[in-house]
Amino acid sequence: MDRKVSRNIAHIVPSLLLFVALALPFLLLILQWLTSSNKMTLFSFFNGPNLQLIGKSLLISIIAAMLSTFIGSICGFLLYKFKFPFSGFYKLMLLLPLLISPYIFAVAWKDGFFWLFGNAATVYSEAGVIMVHTFVFFPFAMLITGSALSQIHSGYEEAGLMIGSFRRMVISIIFPLIRPAITISFLLILIFSLSDFSVPAFFGVRTFTTEIFTQFSALYNFSLALGQSVLLLVICFLLLLAEARYLSDAPFFSVSVKGSISKKYDTGKRKILVHSILWALLIIVLLIPVFILIVQSLSGRAFFFSQALEFMFPAILQSIKLAFAGALLTTAVGLWTASEKERRGRKFPNFLLLLTFIVPSTVMGIALIRYYNLPALHFIYGTSLILLIAYLGKFGFITSRIIGNGIKQIPVSFEEAASVMGIPSNKIFLKISLPLMIPSLFTAFVLAFILCLGELGATMMVYPPGMELMPIKTFTISANAPEALTSSMTLVNLGVTVVLIMLFFIAGKWIFNKFQYA
Amino acid sequence: MNKNYLNLILVAILILTGCKNNTNEVVVYSTVDQVFSEPILKDFERQTGIVVKAVYDTEETKSTGVMNRLIAEKDNPICDVFWSGDPIRNGVLQSKGITTPYQSKQTSLIPDLFKDKDNHWIGFSARARVMIYNLKLISPDSLPRSIFDFTQPRFKGNFSLANPLFGTTTFHIATIFEKLGDTEAEKWMNDLRTNGVVVATSNGDVKKRVMNGELAFGLTDTDDAFEAKKESDDVDYIFLDQQEDAIGSLIMPNALSLIKNSPHSENGKKFINYMLSQEVEAKLAISCAQMPLIKGTVVPNHVPSLDNIKPMQVDYKKTSEKLETIQPWLKAWTEK
Repeated sequence: MDRKVSRNIAHIVPSLLLFVALALPFLLLILQWLTSSNKMTLFSFFNGPNLQLIGKSLLISIIAAMLSTFIGSICGFLLYKFKFPFSGFYKLMLLLPLLISPYIFAVAWKDGFFWLFGNAATVYSEAGVIMVHTFVFFPFAMLITGSALSQIHSGYEEAGLMIGSFRRMVISIIFPLIRPAITISFLLILIFSLSDFSVPAFFGVRTFTTEIFTQFSALYNFSLALGQSVLLLVICFLLLLAEARYLSDAPFFSVSVKGSISKKYDTGKRKILVHSILWALLIIVLLIPVFILIVQSLSGRAFFFSQALEFMFPAILQSIKLAFAGALLTTAVGLWTASEKERRGRKFPNFLLLLTFIVPSTVMGIALIRYYNLPALHFIYGTSLILLIAYLGKFGFITSRIIGNGIKQIPVSFEEAASVMGIPSNKIFLKISLPLMIPSLFTAFVLAFILCLGELGATMMVYPPGMELMPIKTFTISANAPEALTSSMTLVNLGVTVVLIMLFFIAGKWIFNKFQYA
Repeated sequence: MNKNYLNLILVAILILTGCKNNTNEVVVYSTVDQVFSEPILKDFERQTGIVVKAVYDTEETKSTGVMNRLIAEKDNPICDVFWSGDPIRNGVLQSKGITTPYQSKQTSLIPDLFKDKDNHWIGFSARARVMIYNLKLISPDSLPRSIFDFTQPRFKGNFSLANPLFGTTTFHIATIFEKLGDTEAEKWMNDLRTNGVVVATSNGDVKKRVMNGELAFGLTDTDDAFEAKKESDDVDYIFLDQQEDAIGSLIMPNALSLIKNSPHSENGKKFINYMLSQEVEAKLAISCAQMPLIKGTVVPNHVPSLDNIKPMQVDYKKTSEKLETIQPWLKAWTEK
């Protein structure tokens, strides 16, 4: 009985903390919106033109998400199911578009179009937005489907190959097994695309997010902007709810077991084809924009790299420290919420993270400011802790899902057998579950680190006065600084992140070798 | 989870996020481009020993961060001074009860035209709206001399204006509405549309498109034009509407506001006094060609002098009020 009570307390207290720290600010903001607005104007955003705009935004994002998922899945398939030289290099390089801010990408591509064709009018369109979003977000699909592919038990594929061709096995066995991963990739990218304002604003394409932004920043109409944000939130929520309802319990997550060896194939005669596809993609999504940035950085009347380094130096260490802390926090909370959901069937903490994940950055910033900007809470608001809370709200759901998928791979029978033998639960966790979860914990940590390092939208709203962070500094210096300096700073930003990723890559190799078959 | 692991994570997070608390400080929120404002703040720190904690934002980001922060922080401000690139934003904050009046010996150095009559904001170092043009695409002889020439068919599709919902362009358009009256101003804006005006995301975007040779000319601010000239020999700029019967060029001072109930208001006042000095105006003239408002400030030769420009006569308060009324129309115009 006592054990049950203490277990319940161990669940309720952290859940309550998570609710108070993360979800309450948004609920209070919505409550404030509902109570302070004029009843007549409260739902004035719910009209024909706005619904049309939502439809248009959804269409743009659906196309971008479909293209990203398609390209990402192909990459995932080639890189995680085939053995060929330099596959690690491709994995690393194709991850890099995630590290460049979509806005910088949009500027680079616009300049690229102008240089190549003497006219950039084509890119100032819905097609331009779709192109940039596809190139920026496809690594998500590559990572997610790649991870799903590498966890498929070789026995399934071998059995399939005994009775049919490789193509048939891919269609009948691999594809159904990774379908949930493809769907979650699609939905995540759809939400990222739907909530980005920088690219459509730059290309002059009116979307629902730019509309919210205009209400906030040009008209200071908080009430309408909040109403529109709530509508966007509801749409994203319904999308993810569908995913949670229909996919999180799909067979994929329970068929694979730790200790299995994923099958990898030889490229055989198709080696050149595989390399050609990957190089073509690499050139389009990374090398062209980076080349444009390099050309721009060298095109000034002076060499700006040393000045860029001087500008960025104080921000680099601060950003790394904060991203490390953010990744640590989101991974720890992700581990707890995933364990609660997958092992104890308690979905509430995971639901809270889902809720904050889909909130637009500006709304998140305002909610956090209004809630934490009390004298008693200035130890949070005036310090980096506020940024950690924002990071947790933005990326906690992603780490929770990655770790949750990892937990699903561990047969419950392992823990049950240990429990039957009378081993205490904390020892079971430390000696059995945790070692088996290390690869997914590491993946979640690295992804959270990268995302925290580059986060701009919410950071811009809540970063403490006096603090210097890489993405903020690049963005604020970029206004009116010579283009060569801005491009140099972006390249420094990119260079630092690449070095860090390479370090993680080396650490990851060691961790995966040591723990994958634990 | 094991308690030791949890403690370890907590300690790591606290070490990584620990901050020093310093009471001898001033918190400044600035929408002025960091590349120009940061050196001034550093100099203030060096000269007074008061630590400046700044939050930067830019016109490129439409000043979302700083303005929304100030509004959301209204009940418990942590900012002491708001330094804006134009007085319009200070006007918005004033109307929301976020600023407080401030007057001193230094504020009296600024001409009355460039400060709020109740001293909720005080202007200094001004920029002007100018037309930047690409010498390779248009000769100086065939340039428009007035913003009203932009509607001439010979310029069709070859010029740019930043989004009029944001930044100094909003201010500029509001003054034109104030001068011409709504009907005539709306007609002019619609004629611009008909003549293929390219609506850029920001003044920086206008500058870049003209520098790249995408467009022949566009409206921007003097600091953008000055930077463009530093970067390229192909661009130059002119002041529009300088003829005797013309409306003149819009002059936009930087504006400082003391935030109501700010935590370090005394340091905030010291900061404002420091900013309203010839020394700071001279520095801004050198770094970004801003025109001093304090008489006798020595500036480099290339910096235009207010004495040589025909300024547009502006009532900043009325313009702020006008802006609020025309914004829905401007929004509809940008969506056309």
